[in-house]
Amino acid sequence: MNTAKPLNKYVELNMGPQHPSTHGVLRLKLLLDGETVKRVEPVIGYLHRNAEKICELDYYCDSLLYFDRMDYVNSLSMEAGYLEAAEKLLGIEPPERAKWIRTVMAELSRIASHLVWAGAYGLDLGMLTPFFYVFDLREQLLNIFTEASGSRLLTNYMSIGGVYQDFNDKIVYMIKDFIKTFPKKLEEVFNLFVKNDIFISRTKGIGILEKDIAISYGVTGPMLRASGVEYDVRKAEPYLMYDKVNFDIPVSYTKDCLGRFLVRYEEMRQSVKIVKQAIDKIPDGPYFNPKAKKSLMIRLRGEGEAYGRTESSKGEFGVYIVGDGTVKPYRVRVRSPTFKNLSVLRELGKDVMIADLVAISGSIDLVFGEVDR
Amino acid sequence: MNILNRIQGILSPLGHDLSFAGAYLIETIIALVFAVTVVAGMVYFFRKYMARVQNRIGPNRVGKFGVLQVMADGLKLMQKESIFPDGRDDLPYKIAPIIVFLGLILAFIIVPYSNLYWFGSLTVTHSNVGIILIFAILAIMPIGEIFAGISSNNKYAMLGALRAVAKDISFEVPMMLSILAIIMIASVNTSQPLNLQNIVSVQNIPFGILEPIGLFIFFISMIARASYSPFDMGESDSELVTGDTTEYGGLRFGLFYMGLFGTIFLGSMLVSVLYLGGGSGPYESSLGFIWFLIKTVVLVVISLTVWLSMPRVRIDKFVNFGWKILLPLSFINLVITGIIVLGGIA
Repeated sequence: MNTAKPLNKYVELNMGPQHPSTHGVLRLKLLLDGETVKRVEPVIGYLHRNAEKICELDYYCDSLLYFDRMDYVNSLSMEAGYLEAAEKLLGIEPPERAKWIRTVMAELSRIASHLVWAGAYGLDLGMLTPFFYVFDLREQLLNIFTEASGSRLLTNYMSIGGVYQDFNDKIVYMIKDFIKTFPKKLEEVFNLFVKNDIFISRTKGIGILEKDIAISYGVTGPMLRASGVEYDVRKAEPYLMYDKVNFDIPVSYTKDCLGRFLVRYEEMRQSVKIVKQAIDKIPDGPYFNPKAKKSLMIRLRGEGEAYGRTESSKGEFGVYIVGDGTVKPYRVRVRSPTFKNLSVLRELGKDVMIADLVAISGSIDLVFGEVDR
Repeated sequence: MNILNRIQGILSPLGHDLSFAGAYLIETIIALVFAVTVVAGMVYFFRKYMARVQNRIGPNRVGKFGVLQVMADGLKLMQKESIFPDGRDDLPYKIAPIIVFLGLILAFIIVPYSNLYWFGSLTVTHSNVGIILIFAILAIMPIGEIFAGISSNNKYAMLGALRAVAKDISFEVPMMLSILAIIMIASVNTSQPLNLQNIVSVQNIPFGILEPIGLFIFFISMIARASYSPFDMGESDSELVTGDTTEYGGLRFGLFYMGLFGTIFLGSMLVSVLYLGGGSGPYESSLGFIWFLIKTVVLVVISLTVWLSMPRVRIDKFVNFGWKILLPLSFINLVITGIIVLGGIA
């Protein structure tokens, strides 16, 4: 650190792990010069639950629920990510209907995740009201998840070779109802943010993340797309049914917090577009592969290795599984997008004000279940 | 006939001097009870209004429509154990919430409440320098905030106090300049323009219409004085935990909280007195207090709507705003007022 003042002239501040605007249990070690942050060092590990190791002790089908608990606001995308790898390893192809259902559910889950993010971001900036609006919107999604899987947050809905339960007419109706009303309501909430000059002044030009730095840190997801890189696993290496639906990848070239906000907003609208197409394309047929029916589930054996990557709401979510021919995996490794995105905070948090640091760390979209695993 | 004379009449067996002192004392107590009631009502109203804005129901369990929720919360805060931080500066730490609350309720004694039917004028203090007095008392409140921030031995509280100081000095100069314009324009029709009653009575046209710039500056200053979003730098909720009140709990926190809501009401009262004609309106001699309350409540609703829909301004931007926009504007306002007064337009 090349600063004129000696180190003991700065104030060291421990922000977190119990702090209202560090989204869970992030701890930031700050070095302050008045209001200016000279150095920021994220410290993680306060929510470490050993998920990867526990996966080694469980059957392939059981590991799924640890993925629910990784990114708990976006659990269905996490399930899709695990199954992408597990099904490759076990050699079980889900039927087409199951794939469509998964696509729909993963996209709805992405919307739910972005909504929570937008509300929490408002709270970070001192905006109380949008938080309640987005949770009101999200409630409809959680009702859909409850109807499909029986639980609101940790759904455990998808299973190896298909999904746990078929879509019935009620779920289809609820989803159609949701996508009909959602874009308008979303725009209302969105206007609360972007039509507010103070919000713009708090986010525009704050936390500039250059393209090459983003790529060198392995940043993915909306963070990367807000830096002007058009990269999305759904397009780059389509999984599930993403190659059969028509959607765009929003990219922002502003590189700042406002860009990240706008990218996520547009992503929600694109997700609605995907769901709208997918819900009509769900074919009739079985919703799970008979090779993986419930009585056979714990006898599934996998050998070799498989890597599956998906686009979660935070970025590229990768799962790597090694099987040794038994009913339990030999090793499970997760590439967590938020972990990579968080590491860039050290670059972004230099010589900014504390208020900006909160705005920047909020714009990363941190969910600590996923960072610490 | 005002309420003071009526109370004095009841107390007249005590002799002239004693009854006069007793009447003042009783009326002061009435004003203080009014202040505390208003604060409690504000908290309830705020919670209901906030719930309404945010598509929620709000308090509805304690009492009918949750009206007793404030009392329940107050009792809860009183029962709480006082936890003191280590290494605090004991005296400032303990008197800080008292200073904030005391400053608030003292200001309630000076506000001209105008008339109410039988009671006559409800105003307690008929000071000839009321406007100076009330802003002198208002200037005490930030001292409480600063004491709280510095004495808590907490870095968040310290940062909050630094922000509060930066905020205070950047809006108080424009605020006082806009008040100077009020005094100038009031001096046209009255020989005692520092008297709040006179300022109210000379507003045939509300000063807010004559001085829209002054109204704008003063309203913003009152938001910053009460310290709520978008100018809640001292508190900086969630960013600095709760800023200068971070280390406070129980009743001490309750006093800060009541100070916040009381200041919103007080700020609205001052705006309505100085710019919207206070108690003037139809049937002023009997319904003045009602007009005054209506104007104040409308301003409170506007203030709360601003609070609920705005994010926090960054402190450096607010300081810029204060010194580079509000201050020149207030000078322009002053010059325009001077021209109006000299030209005899008003």
